[in-house]
Amino acid sequence: MPQTIFDDPDGTLSMLRDSAATLASRRPGPASLRAKRAGSADIDRDLWTSMAEAGWLGLLLPEDLGGAGLGLAEQAVLSEALGRALIAEPVGAGAVFASTLLRDAPASAERDRLAAGLASGELLVSPAWQDPSRHSHGAALKAMVDGDGFILTGDRHFVDGATSASDFLVVVDAGREALVVSVPAGRSGISVSEKAGVDGSAIGRVAFERCSVGANRVVARGPSIEALVENAVTNARIAIAAELAGIASKAVEMTIAYTKDRVQFGRPIASFQAVQHRLVEMWSDAEFACASVVNAVVKQSEGDDKAAHLAVLAAKARCGDAATSICRRAVHLHGAMGFTDEHDIGLYLKRAIALSATLGQPEAMRLEFVELEHAA
Amino acid sequence: MATDWNAMSDDDFRAAFRDLVERRLPAELRFMRKQRPLFDEVAVWYHALNEEGWLSPVWSVEYGGMGLNPAKHMIYVEEWGRLGCPRIPDHGLGLIGPLLLAFGTEEQKAYYLPKILSGEHVWCQGYSEPNSGSDLASLRTAAVRDGDHFVVNGQKIWTTLAHCANWIFALVRTSRDEKVRQKGITVLLIDMTTPGVKVRPIANLRGETDFCEVFFDNVRVPVENLVGEVDQGWNVAKSVLGHERIFLGAPTRPEIAMERLDKLARARGAFDDPAFRSRYAKHRLDLYDLGSAFERFAKVLREGGELGADVSLLKIFTTELYQRITEEMLLLAGEDARYFDDIEAGNGEVDAMNLFLDSRAPAIFGGSNEIQKNILAKAVLGLPS
Ligand SMILES: Cc1cc2nc3c(=O)[nH]c(=O)nc-3n(C[C@H](O)[C@H](O)[C@H](O)COP(=O)(O)OP(=O)(O)OC[C@H]3O[C@@H](n4cnc5c(N)ncnc54)[C@H](O)[C@@H]3O)c2cc1C
Repeated sequence: MPQTIFDDPDGTLSMLRDSAATLASRRPGPASLRAKRAGSADIDRDLWTSMAEAGWLGLLLPEDLGGAGLGLAEQAVLSEALGRALIAEPVGAGAVFASTLLRDAPASAERDRLAAGLASGELLVSPAWQDPSRHSHGAALKAMVDGDGFILTGDRHFVDGATSASDFLVVVDAGREALVVSVPAGRSGISVSEKAGVDGSAIGRVAFERCSVGANRVVARGPSIEALVENAVTNARIAIAAELAGIASKAVEMTIAYTKDRVQFGRPIASFQAVQHRLVEMWSDAEFACASVVNAVVKQSEGDDKAAHLAVLAAKARCGDAATSICRRAVHLHGAMGFTDEHDIGLYLKRAIALSATLGQPEAMRLEFVELEHAA
Repeated sequence: MATDWNAMSDDDFRAAFRDLVERRLPAELRFMRKQRPLFDEVAVWYHALNEEGWLSPVWSVEYGGMGLNPAKHMIYVEEWGRLGCPRIPDHGLGLIGPLLLAFGTEEQKAYYLPKILSGEHVWCQGYSEPNSGSDLASLRTAAVRDGDHFVVNGQKIWTTLAHCANWIFALVRTSRDEKVRQKGITVLLIDMTTPGVKVRPIANLRGETDFCEVFFDNVRVPVENLVGEVDQGWNVAKSVLGHERIFLGAPTRPEIAMERLDKLARARGAFDDPAFRSRYAKHRLDLYDLGSAFERFAKVLREGGELGADVSLLKIFTTELYQRITEEMLLLAGEDARYFDDIEAGNGEVDAMNLFLDSRAPAIFGGSNEIQKNILAKAVLGLPS
């Protein structure tokens, strides 16, 4: 069945797959998702802590910052396994984004504190870097210079883990320069509101109202920030694409199993050619998704920036479309059972939609791909 | 004196319906977000329709219906959707009524029909079972004769609104040894307050509980609750829908979705984007052309003809178009497609996710699209097995 295939000379990847499967069997993702949804929570704290203990949240951080010092292949395999198991925590947009940014930021006491805390699970560092879209009510975040510190005013949307956060990792325009600052979540002048996410997690909106941040909280400043954020987005996209590939593959498997088992007209419905052809198409789409993830990871280390960027755009687009369309077909092939909340296949569909819409949906990625490819 | 609705001009008929809606339908019940309100939530509207003599469009006038011909009935359904009237629990009106009118005894008609109109009886449809969905004829819920009663044991599932119904119209197996499985099935009307009936609601993808499981444990049903003949229920059930099969293919759902897509697209300035305009135009013309195809069948009905199996092509097209339009809404929503809640669209909100999730169902119920295609392949194209 579809899965990402990387070289794995020392067996690290297969070990990662195994330990992810073990965690998933101890703490089934669908049950966690349902509990989180019922309690309108943003993350499953126990699960998050277990992942930190397993070394997964700081996978990309070097060991001297408290991380596991592993690379993108490992991250992809882990995220794929989380997708399969429907462990629907903000690993990609949260931990991968934050750890990549901190890894690449200049050394400082604050950077080191955040990195170590993120990896160990003692801190929950939530990236708050997206302005409200122009369609929603909210004002872009601005920082004003205040002595050697700053005062933040404005809104940040799509903040994962906003309620549980210990620190927000804020990327903000301060007029003359851009900044990355950390803001303790309890700081006065911060209010968090939430909207229900389709995948069961509450999605935060953080409003800053004259919230002051000292100079000691500055993680990075100046022209390097664009590259810092771009790298963080790239890695988060790869992780999310891999998670989507895992969802896609698992949804195909679940549907094959269901239709082999489900008997109508005296035979398994998987014996009808119309169903078989659909299943073959779904399987093929999942194979393409997995291949696109491997390509994106491999291209990152070949030293061609443009090729690396193109590969990520392609993977995010391919995996988003594959996962959502496979899950739509999967729901249909489950009949009325697929339309229930009780069956997990609908949860896979919802998670696929949420991840596909996170950090660039397929069409936007494809258009960006073509534009970049045509650029001189 | 009952009004002769069929003699009215179409325009007058439309105006009369609009007038009724303006007078009697409370504003908060118009364009409801909920697809399947419970009886109590829309009781005001139900009773108002009854008082005004507009509740039952197709039943004959003799039994309190409007006796609309198919052409007028189509206008009724169109206006209903256009004016944002909420769905009312309609199994009694749409299924049981016509069933009794065609196959019921005079006693049954006199007893049940008024209670449907008054809302005293709220009905649900017990066909599907855990192991009998597409293959309905394999159903196993058993009814065994015991003196003046049938004793019913078994289970139904996906029974829409069973939790707010007090009567269920059930297909049960009365004979097992027939070679043709379609024989040996009987239609029973079952009072759901009878001991041994248990209902468990099932939540759906939208997080609402529209359908249920219904369990029968030694439920005693008087023999007079049989409709038609013992073992002949399949034909009874099949023939009920008649001209109403055209409504499975009505453009209502994609129309609603298109209206929302429009609102979202305007609010987000999407019409300035040529790629969106191109896709929008495709959906728009699909909807437009669905109107033409629908008209091709509506004309048959207006001219007093009967629908053939080919009408199924409308059902496939409309349910798939509904899905395409709601998928387009999620695309337009961008990152807002992460929200379960309704999303911002200018001064209001649009229930993009709600409709997207809803659009998964019509391709499954009412005979899944694969089953419709099997029927078309055999009955219309005459393809070999
Ligand atoms: C929202 C909703 C409301 C409903 N309300 C009611 C109700 O009020 N009363 C009631 O009795 N029922 C109701 N149903 C049930 C509905 O009639 C069944 O879901 C439908 O008949 C399909 O059966 P199934 O769900 O068991 O799917 P299955 O028959 O198990 O089918 C599963 C999948 O296999 C496909 N398939 C099956 N056979 C074939 C074949 N021969 N060739 C190719 N593909 C095939 C189907 O298309 C489907 O995609 C409702 C269903 C839904 C979703």
